[in-house]
Amino acid sequence: MEAVSSTAGLHHAGEAEHHHGPPAAHRSSRVDPQLLGMLLFIISEIMVFGAFFTAYFFIRVVDGNPWPAEGTELPKLIAGVNTAILLSSSITLHWALEAIRRGNRAAFKAGMATTFLLGATFLFVQINEYVHIGFAPSNSAQASVFYGLTGLHGAHVALGLMILLMVTVRAFRGHFSPEEHRGVEVPGIYWHFVDVMWVIVYCTVYLL
Amino acid sequence: MTAKLRAPGWYRAALFILLGLAFSYALVGVVRTLMHYPDAWSDGNAITTVSLIAIPLFFLVGLGCFDYWFYYAAGRPTRAEDHSSHGATSWKAYFRVNTDHKVIGIQYICVSFFFMFLGGLIAMLMRAELAQPGMQFVDSATFNGLFSVHAALLIFLFVIPVFAGIANYVLPLMIGAPDMAFPRLNALSFWMLPMAGLLLTASFFAPGGAFASGWTAYAPLSTDMPLGQVFFTIGVQFAGASSIATALNFLVTIITMRAPGMSFFRMPLLVWANFSTSLLVVIATPFVAASQFFVLLDRALGFNFFDAFVGSGKNGSVLMYQHVFWFYSHPAVYIMMLPGFGIVSEVLSVKARKPIFGYRMMAFSLLAIVALGFTVWAHHMFVSGMQAWIRVPMMITTAIIAVPTGIKIFSWLATLWRGVLHLDTPMLFALGFLTTFTLGGISGVMLSMIPFDIYVSDTYFIVAHIHYVLFGGSLFTIFAGIYYWFPKMTGRMYDERLGKIHFWCTFVFFNVTFAPMHLLGLDGMPRRVADYAEQYATLNLLVTIASFALGLSMLVFLYNMVASWRGGPRAAANPWRALTLEWQVSSPPPIFNFDAVPTVVGGPYEYGVPGAVHGIFQSPTEAKPTPAGSVATSPTRE
Repeated sequence: MEAVSSTAGLHHAGEAEHHHGPPAAHRSSRVDPQLLGMLLFIISEIMVFGAFFTAYFFIRVVDGNPWPAEGTELPKLIAGVNTAILLSSSITLHWALEAIRRGNRAAFKAGMATTFLLGATFLFVQINEYVHIGFAPSNSAQASVFYGLTGLHGAHVALGLMILLMVTVRAFRGHFSPEEHRGVEVPGIYWHFVDVMWVIVYCTVYLL
Repeated sequence: MTAKLRAPGWYRAALFILLGLAFSYALVGVVRTLMHYPDAWSDGNAITTVSLIAIPLFFLVGLGCFDYWFYYAAGRPTRAEDHSSHGATSWKAYFRVNTDHKVIGIQYICVSFFFMFLGGLIAMLMRAELAQPGMQFVDSATFNGLFSVHAALLIFLFVIPVFAGIANYVLPLMIGAPDMAFPRLNALSFWMLPMAGLLLTASFFAPGGAFASGWTAYAPLSTDMPLGQVFFTIGVQFAGASSIATALNFLVTIITMRAPGMSFFRMPLLVWANFSTSLLVVIATPFVAASQFFVLLDRALGFNFFDAFVGSGKNGSVLMYQHVFWFYSHPAVYIMMLPGFGIVSEVLSVKARKPIFGYRMMAFSLLAIVALGFTVWAHHMFVSGMQAWIRVPMMITTAIIAVPTGIKIFSWLATLWRGVLHLDTPMLFALGFLTTFTLGGISGVMLSMIPFDIYVSDTYFIVAHIHYVLFGGSLFTIFAGIYYWFPKMTGRMYDERLGKIHFWCTFVFFNVTFAPMHLLGLDGMPRRVADYAEQYATLNLLVTIASFALGLSMLVFLYNMVASWRGGPRAAANPWRALTLEWQVSSPPPIFNFDAVPTVVGGPYEYGVPGAVHGIFQSPTEAKPTPAGSVATSPTRE
């Protein structure tokens, strides 16, 4: 995502007949466009999760079906450890962002790499859980909702990991600086959203 | 040749479509082999389903929608900002990925009108079948496919995107911005649209015919349909993603890129309308995406969200689909109407030469509709067997939502009061809209009443209501907007005489087509059925004849648009003597809209107020508060 105004430097006053860029857009808000775009995107993501939670609500609460389906069990402990792994990745990401803000490039690179590895570990544990959980989405609507919600979240983790990988690659290539680190900050907000959403999924699907 | 295949464009896109097909085939084969499924490499349903997702994505990559982001992501230097993909110098530019909001706006409008004519032709075919009792042209399964594709095309590929297209062109100009906030995202969201339209249309060629579960695709009907249903399920995902991305773009543009001096209460009402619509899209559209995810998961991966058959013991919930679907699709009717409200506000104020009546109430009523729009969805489900206690609250909120709509109707009437009306084509369509939309709104309030709704559920009364609000409402405003901004978009004037012929034909035949449907519905003629009882024959024949005339009058519009764009007289920069900023630049506007960002010093609708000025072309530091009698200076280009 990019804003028009970032290219305004190419516009030279007095060369109106062949100028190569738009005039700088007026900034009518203190909010950064990229940041605002990410927040709106997160709102729509919350609504996607909301729809899946609606399915959960109808099948578990409105229809009063047993949860989890009879004869199945959810691995609360393993998922709990996994929750801790994912939450700690938020902390390391914050550490990385603070590091580049202070210009500490080594800590920035270490923080990004750790965050990526923690996220990948979460995803690996999640897939491993699917393999050993003992029921398939076709067994019952409860199983469908379980796979639907955790799978939707897993897809978001996968997407977040891809974005984090880009940031990490750019970090190791020497991009970003104390002045220009929006490319870390905006993906970071997305990653924190994915983490918070996992806490909600974990509480409703596993614990409650 | 290799260079052509490597550079973004249609050659690479064609190559990537083949790659996408190969990818889908390999993915399905490998996964099914690993899972030890039978006929791993020859399951046509699975391969088609995966291809329908993969091919559009591969096509977009091939066309070059993602190039910039790939460069950025890999940390490679991005191409220099030479704006080579910005603006159009020939018609070929409209077939490339272009970042200019004006080009994208015209791309949107042309593509969505293409699908309007397609959907209209499908409607003609249905009316031909319904001209007489008995079966004449199509069998009942095809008929089910026809009305499903008709509705899906006109909703997802016409009304929603054409409003996005008009706003794409006009909105940045109106707020004094050089472009949208995210031009590349804008291009991507346009190019997803033809993909979605092709998927919906191509479903006719699927084995088993087009999806025939209506545009609502209720489960479990949709989970048991033949393969054509998947075309709808996935096509809607692309259309939905496109409209979410556009809405996000509009919101960021409106919030962060307004010209100096343009406070929220100096924005033209079209901007307000698109602001409200975009809020609805960002919040509601994910629900339709999720509902189609559920159907897709049930169909493709054996999930059981909707298997409610007691004997199977799967505990699925059918009502859940309807709740999730209508939680999007009720707000969606406002997504399809609010931008039209904005267009009508512009046209009425300019053509009546009067300030809009109750500007702030017009803006607040839009926001009220946004808020109330989320509280009424279950009025589509009065006969669905849902919990009875939800009905009455939904009836009350539905009746309440008529209040902000009524505020707007009365404000428009008050705007016309003692105005100097210029009855040209845009104004005629705006006035026609007032009539037909009020009729549609009244039948909407009737339908909100539970006893009445139960009586006419699934009859032609519903068909009449939806066409009065979507055709008589949305489409009339779309025509008003297209005629109103035609000089700005093309730099040419349309033929006023043909425009008036188009309006009167449309207005008369629209009413003759859809008004009798109220009576048919009250008499109990069921909708969505290819055949009907003898007693409905007379009115149906009348409706069919009128609908053909209505269809023909669209050809007048098409001819007028094409001929005027090619050879119409040159349009002045401001033929309507309007105050809003898009009219203060040349027609069509310069490539970056403004040489210098204008400064807004007054409201947008001060018509008839001596010396009133909306925007001036000076930098904010030079601009002083304008004394009465000053005149806006427009840039001298050309």
